[in-house]
Amino acid sequence: MPIEIPTLNIAALTPFLAVTVTAFVVMFFELFVNDKRILGYLSLLGLAVAAISSVMLLGVSPAPAFQEMAISDGYALVLNLIFIVTAALSILISLSYLGDRALQRGEYYALLLFSTGGMMLMGAATDLIVVFMGLEIMSIALYVLAAFNRRKMGSGEAGMKYFILGAFASAFFLYGVALVYGATGSTNLSAIGNWFTSGGGDLTDPIALVGLSLLLVGFAFKIAAVPFQWWTPDVYQGAPTSVTAFMSVGAKAAGFAALVRLLMVSFGQAFTLDWQIAVAALAVVTMTGGNIAALAQKDIKRMLAFSSIAHAGYILVGVVPGTIDGVQAVLFYLMGYAFMNIGAFAVVAVLEHRVAISSAIEEYAGLAARKPLLAAAMLLFMVSLTGLPPFVGFWGKLYVFRAAVEANMSWLAVVGVINSAISAFYYLGVVVQMYMRPAAATEDGEEVVPISLSGPVTITLAVAVIITVILGIWPTPLVNLTSLAVFG
Amino acid sequence: MPFDPSQIPIVQIVFFVMTACAIGGAIGVVSSPNLFHSALYLVLSLFGVAGYYVLLSAGFLAVVQLMVYVGAIAILILFAIMFARRLMGQGENQNNQQWWLSLPIVMILFAVLVGVVNTVSWPVSGAEPTGDTVMELGHAFLGSYLIPFEVVSILLSVALIGGIFLAREKVEAEEA
Amino acid sequence: MLEQVPVSHYLLLSAILFSIGAGGVLIRRNVIIVLMCIEMMMNAVNLTFITFSRYLDSATGQIFVFMIMAVAAVEVAVGLALLVELNRHKQSVNIDDFNALKG
Repeated sequence: MPIEIPTLNIAALTPFLAVTVTAFVVMFFELFVNDKRILGYLSLLGLAVAAISSVMLLGVSPAPAFQEMAISDGYALVLNLIFIVTAALSILISLSYLGDRALQRGEYYALLLFSTGGMMLMGAATDLIVVFMGLEIMSIALYVLAAFNRRKMGSGEAGMKYFILGAFASAFFLYGVALVYGATGSTNLSAIGNWFTSGGGDLTDPIALVGLSLLLVGFAFKIAAVPFQWWTPDVYQGAPTSVTAFMSVGAKAAGFAALVRLLMVSFGQAFTLDWQIAVAALAVVTMTGGNIAALAQKDIKRMLAFSSIAHAGYILVGVVPGTIDGVQAVLFYLMGYAFMNIGAFAVVAVLEHRVAISSAIEEYAGLAARKPLLAAAMLLFMVSLTGLPPFVGFWGKLYVFRAAVEANMSWLAVVGVINSAISAFYYLGVVVQMYMRPAAATEDGEEVVPISLSGPVTITLAVAVIITVILGIWPTPLVNLTSLAVFG
Repeated sequence: MPFDPSQIPIVQIVFFVMTACAIGGAIGVVSSPNLFHSALYLVLSLFGVAGYYVLLSAGFLAVVQLMVYVGAIAILILFAIMFARRLMGQGENQNNQQWWLSLPIVMILFAVLVGVVNTVSWPVSGAEPTGDTVMELGHAFLGSYLIPFEVVSILLSVALIGGIFLAREKVEAEEA
Repeated sequence: MLEQVPVSHYLLLSAILFSIGAGGVLIRRNVIIVLMCIEMMMNAVNLTFITFSRYLDSATGQIFVFMIMAVAAVEVAVGLALLVELNRHKQSVNIDDFNALKG
């Protein structure tokens, strides 16, 4: 039996390869370079190459790569851009944040790039085996990144809790894959879809349905949907802030990337009503649970963790209709969320004291008087996360809810709007602390900790502010970009 | 009646022995109060599952199972246990305080899984698999499944970098 | 050999193993045991894959098992590294003792 040389079409995976190769290059130069910040800038260069190749591929008609294992369609490429933005903004935060804590290491940037590569693989995968490999590359790198601050107990604990949660989720995901494979005879997404459309046999339908449920459970863990959120707030709180910023957007976006493609391509014809009800229920409990829990938080990283759970709920609203409009609204939301949420974490990273593990909201009192610009940036991110105009968060919610209304699910949009109103309480609570409360009186002899706003983190803040405002006033460019996101 | 060796249901006997190993081992892992015993029960359970692979004509994977799981993973776990022997935590309560909450969840999961398996009649062709499984696997890895096969190497690199970073030399803690 | 032992037996077995593993993760608090239980769950999945692979006479299931084995090994390696790292801070392997992070 001669070995048939498979058609590779490596070009379709150029962004993934660019990021992964850069990660290896970073590890290589780690040996020689004394100033590890250079490696951070090198990583940014790799991400730029990946971004350029993604944009160039957008002009080419989608081609399946590696024997129907992955594809570079518009959907995957727009997602690539979301992952690249997330990674680049996080690296800019890291360049400042790690330096303050003597954590500047090549491994950090390499793992962050590997993780980004895993996310890209999840977005491009058209076979569950590739989804799984992408998922694991992303997750394993994130477990280590969460535990990266080895000087702190909390960081290691965050890594361990994230690891147990992630591995548990992977087991459910795999069982789901196994049952779907048993029912349909394939792990290829479009082959599964074809099996259902060709009426493959009602005989094994219950198996496929249970498989789909287990897959949903696995993804729900990954995007931190209620009731599968468990330790997510602990993880977000304990991990280094630059890593929290990265995973709060990146891991969530990657989870949605694979989930949406699975639901649209494989289960677009089968069980549509079943998964729509399940996802809608998940959306409602996630929004409500996340928002109510966020109200009680006194630590800003925990507050943002619960708020990110709530945002996963809003995004799920866009998944429910199962229309291409809904998918594009989801991508718009994710891109906007990347800028405003990472911007908020950048402010947290700047303010976080070197020694304290927590970053209590109370410490934000009087910030407006001490650092007016920083406080103004935080105000802007909080308002945008609440979903008020004229910022990008408003448009994100508008498009997602509109997709639900157009699919005759207005009640879901109403629940979303009510939840946005609840979220205003805790987001604006931060604003109240910053603008209306005086700074805590310092005891005699205790120096006020200076807030140093300098270096690369400033670039993150500036970019995040500018994009949040510009897209808020003029969302058309991003709408045009996401409208390219179609399944190949 | 003369003794007829071909009448002995060897496959069934092997199956039930393996079942005893797999399930007994699994229960042992979960219930044993001694960490070291749990790890040994895990080996037993993994061994039992490897036996099923042989019955299911996946001999190659049975060998891989023995080498990777029993030979590497279980040994690694035993090593970690001995490394931290003072932490075996004998005597203290090792269960979750809310363990009774988990039981219904597990029961529901189990009921669903069993229920769904029983809804399908599973017609069997009875044919033995054609061709050489190992050869088939090799072709698949270098053919249609080239990309997952290559991507595993990236995953292993990530684990290597991460594992070495975490377990490397001591750093002084900043706080208690 | 599927005539002697029907497919459903294998599937039931793997459902039992998976449930025991999931129960162990939820009930036990010792990190190492939780890790072992997750390995058992992965093993149950492997058994399901191989059963279906044999039943459908398709190689995909065996390929998936191969990948899962690699991933399981990776997860154990990283998990134990995390454990060793945590032990430097706190002399415990009980999840409930890891409580630096509370709201």
